[in-house]
Amino acid sequence: MNASFTASIRERVQQIETMPAIPAVFLPLLKLLSGSAEDTRVDEVVRLVSYDNTVAAQCLRVAASPLFGLAQPPKSIKAAVISLGLRRVETILLTCCMGQAFPATKWVLDPAVFWKHSLGCALVCRKFSEKLAAADVEKAYMAGLLHDIGFMVNCLVFPREFAAAMELAYREEIPLGEAELATMGFTHCETGRALAEKWKLADEIIDVIAHHHIVEQSQKAQPLPALVHLSDLLCRMRGLGYGYYERHKVDLVSDPAWTVLLQEHRDLEGVDLVRFTFELDEAVEEIQALVSTVFGAAPAQN
Amino acid sequence: MTIVTQPAATPPVANKGDVLDPVYRQIRDLVYKVSGIYKAEDKLYLLADGCGRRMKQVGARTPRDYWDQLTAQPSRDGELRQLLNEITIGETCLFRSQPQLDALRKVILPEIVGEKVKQTTKRLRIWSAGCSTGEESYTLAMNMLEEKERLLQGWTVEILATDLNDRSVETAKAGIYGDYAVRNTTDFYKRKYFVPVDDKKLQVRPEVKKLITFSRLNLQDDSKMLFMKGMDLIFCCNVLIYFDGVSKSKVINHFFSNLNFGGYFFLGTSESLMKLNEQFHLVHFPGTIAYWKPSLNSGKL
Repeated sequence: MNASFTASIRERVQQIETMPAIPAVFLPLLKLLSGSAEDTRVDEVVRLVSYDNTVAAQCLRVAASPLFGLAQPPKSIKAAVISLGLRRVETILLTCCMGQAFPATKWVLDPAVFWKHSLGCALVCRKFSEKLAAADVEKAYMAGLLHDIGFMVNCLVFPREFAAAMELAYREEIPLGEAELATMGFTHCETGRALAEKWKLADEIIDVIAHHHIVEQSQKAQPLPALVHLSDLLCRMRGLGYGYYERHKVDLVSDPAWTVLLQEHRDLEGVDLVRFTFELDEAVEEIQALVSTVFGAAPAQN
Repeated sequence: MTIVTQPAATPPVANKGDVLDPVYRQIRDLVYKVSGIYKAEDKLYLLADGCGRRMKQVGARTPRDYWDQLTAQPSRDGELRQLLNEITIGETCLFRSQPQLDALRKVILPEIVGEKVKQTTKRLRIWSAGCSTGEESYTLAMNMLEEKERLLQGWTVEILATDLNDRSVETAKAGIYGDYAVRNTTDFYKRKYFVPVDDKKLQVRPEVKKLITFSRLNLQDDSKMLFMKGMDLIFCCNVLIYFDGVSKSKVINHFFSNLNFGGYFFLGTSESLMKLNEQFHLVHFPGTIAYWKPSLNSGKL
C-alpha cells in the first residue's frame, strides 16, 4: 500500500461525521488498567465507571446475569468488582464501552461474532503473556481486544465495499483480510490504524492494529504485534473466528511471528501448545456467554 | 489395540456442579501427563463420571481416596489404565470428529493433490492404526468416495485398517452398526452407503468395504511397522494413551517414517503428542489439530 493511499484512507476516516466518538471513560480506563497496583486500581475503576451512567448500568446488568452465578446481584460497582474480581469487571467494562461507541444498526459484521473474536484474542494474549512471564500482561490484553477495530471502521465508513469483502471471504472460505485486499485494495489494518490515531491510542497499540497480520512490517519487529498475530490465528482455529470456516492451515512455530516472539521470550520454546489450545477451548463458553449477555439482552446504545 | 465401543451401561453420574473438588483437576493433570489426554474444563464432568464409576468399583469414598489409589503403588498403573478405559468409553462412532473430516477434505486433500499432481500414479494411502471395530475406517472410506466424485477423480484410494485384537478386526470387517454407532451419521450417508440389516442395524455397502483392507497388527512389532510405507495420512485415535512413554515414542517415530513427506498424522480430539517427536510440526485447522511431516520443498524439515 502506497503512502498516498494510506493518507486518503486516513483523511476519509477523519472526515466521516458518523465516526464513533470514544466514550469519555475509555481512555482513562485503558491507561488505568495497564497499571499494576491492584489495590489502587479497584477504587479508581469504580470511580471511573460510576462517572458514566450508561456504562455503570450495563456493567451491573451483566454482573447480575446468571453467567456469573452470584447469589445476590451486586448493588454497586464496587460490589461487582469485589464479587467478580477486577479482571472480569475489566472485560465487562471495556466491552460495554466499545459496544457504546458503535451504533448497533451500522454493523455489517455480526457484532456478537466480532466481540467473541476480540475478547477471545484479548484473553489468549493475556494467557500467552502469562506463560511467557511477560511484564505487560494487561497491555497484551488491551492489544488483543483492540486489534481488529478496523472492522468497525469498515462497517461504518465502507459498508458496501466491506459487505462485498465479507461475501467473498464466506464464499471462498478465505481469511477476511485477504478478501478485503482482493475487493477493497486495503484492509482493516489501515482503517483501524486511522481510527486508533484519531483516538490517540498508545503507539504500541497502534502498531498492533496496523501490523498484526504482517508482523515483519512493524517498525522494530516488536513482540506485541507478534503475540497478537499468533493469538489471533489460534482464536480463528478454535471457534473464535469470524463465524465461517476458513480453509487454513496454521503452523504457529514456523510463523515469522514466532521467531520474533522467541527472540524476546526464550520461555516460548517450553510452551505446550496443544495443552494451551485445549485450555483456550475452556474459555470459549464463557466468552460466548459474556458476549450474549452484553449484546443479547439490550443492544448497544446509539 | 481395542477400545470398548459400546455406550456406558449406566447414565452419567456427575454434572458440571460436581467437579468443583480440586482433586479432579489434579487427576486431569495426571491423566494428561501419562496419556496426553486432556479433559477441558467444560468436559471435566466426563472425567468425574469415569472417576465416579471407578470409585464404586474400588471402594474409594472420596475423590481424595481415589487420588491416593491412582498415585500409590501397587495399584497405580493398573488403576490408571482402568480409568483411561472409562474416560474413552463411547468415544468411538462413525463421523466422530467432523472438524478432522473438514480439515481433511477442505485443506489437506487439496494440498496433497496439488503436490502429487506431477506424479504419474495418482494414489492416496491412508492408515487407520488401531481401527478398533472399523467406525473410523468406514468414515474415511465414505468421505473418500465422496471426493472421488470431485477432487480425487481418477485416483486410487487405499485404506489400511489395523488392530491388535482379532475379534475387533472381524467385527470391523462385517461393518454392521447399531443406532449408537451411527448417531452422528447423516441421512445422506446412511442412504448412500448403508443397507438395513434389521430394524436397528445398518450394514456398510460393499463398495465402501472395497476401499479398505483390514488386518491384525501390533503397533509394537517393529519388523512389521517397517513395512507400512508410503502413507499419506495416519489416524491413530485413543490408542497411544495406553502405551508407556518409551513405547509411545517408538511407535510415533515409526509413524513419522511411514508417512510420505507432506503427510499428516491425526490423534484423537483431546490427545497430544506432548513433544515425543520433534520432527512433526504441530498444525492447527479449524477445530482440530494434526501433526505434519513437512514436504521436501517446504524448506521446513
